Amino acid sequence: MVSAGIKPGVPVILRELEPSSEMFKQGASLRVTGILQSYDMDSATAVIKDGSVSLKIDTQNLRDVSFRTNSAYQFIGELQIHADNEAILQARIGRNVDGLDLNLYQSALLIQREQEAKLRSSRRT
Amino acid sequence: MGPPLHLVHIKILAADLLSLTVLQTSPPSFLRRGRTVTRAELVGIVVSRDRREKFLRFLIDDGTGCVPCVLWLNHQYLNANVSSELSASDPNAEMALKMSEEVCLGTLLRVRGKMVMYRGAIQISVRDVVLEKDPNVEVLHWLQCVRLAKECYDLPPPSAPGAT
Repeated sequence: MVSAGIKPGVPVILRELEPSSEMFKQGASLRVTGILQSYDMDSATAVIKDGSVSLKIDTQNLRDVSFRTNSAYQFIGELQIHADNEAILQARIGRNVDGLDLNLYQSALLIQREQEAKLRSSRRT
Repeated sequence: MGPPLHLVHIKILAADLLSLTVLQTSPPSFLRRGRTVTRAELVGIVVSRDRREKFLRFLIDDGTGCVPCVLWLNHQYLNANVSSELSASDPNAEMALKMSEEVCLGTLLRVRGKMVMYRGAIQISVRDVVLEKDPNVEVLHWLQCVRLAKECYDLPPPSAPGAT
């Protein structure tokens, strides 16, 4: 079912997901990318890593995604933050992105954000 | 001033598409920095899908916004007065059906089509859908959108200060 209420998953780099970051908010819709470190079938929990930073992903709502460690994955979903500031992404979309140039992806993301910020400020003036 | 934009599918990010100026003409007109645009090309992930008998509605999320898209599958009704044999082999109907099968949750798609208004919001009436298997294609699309905005789409009109 198509819902107009679905928010875009804002692409973030895992190292940006610190408690002080404006993206680190309860319920924030995010798109995260990383290499699959582990997958627990019982809890349907995946752990992805980018550099030295990792993030837990709850995949229980996903269908037709097969998980292979050391492959690259991208998830879209909502961030759940627990009392101890431990975050887990409640994924609603997941896909394998093997072949994605992560460095290029992150550089392009920064360029795109800069351009969007300029556009937003030009609309305000 | 750059070339006219209303004849081409402009490569655009969802946030820019959804913030176009809409003129309530009949049919509605869409303006980007004062220039008329009619068709768009988006690259993003399918995050929602609703298949009905006559159409497929889906949402494309490119990270900057979610764009509603509609792919019409009603060719058999439009061809009602053509002989049933001809109607059954309508290549447009076949193509639309084939394209609808590419639209699955989580897939990366390139979508091109016409901008229309539906219930007060901009949506894309889909002309074609391409399944993108290389994830780097989305990165290239982002960079193309940024470059084209700077070098073509958002150039000031000739009368504006700073125009060359």
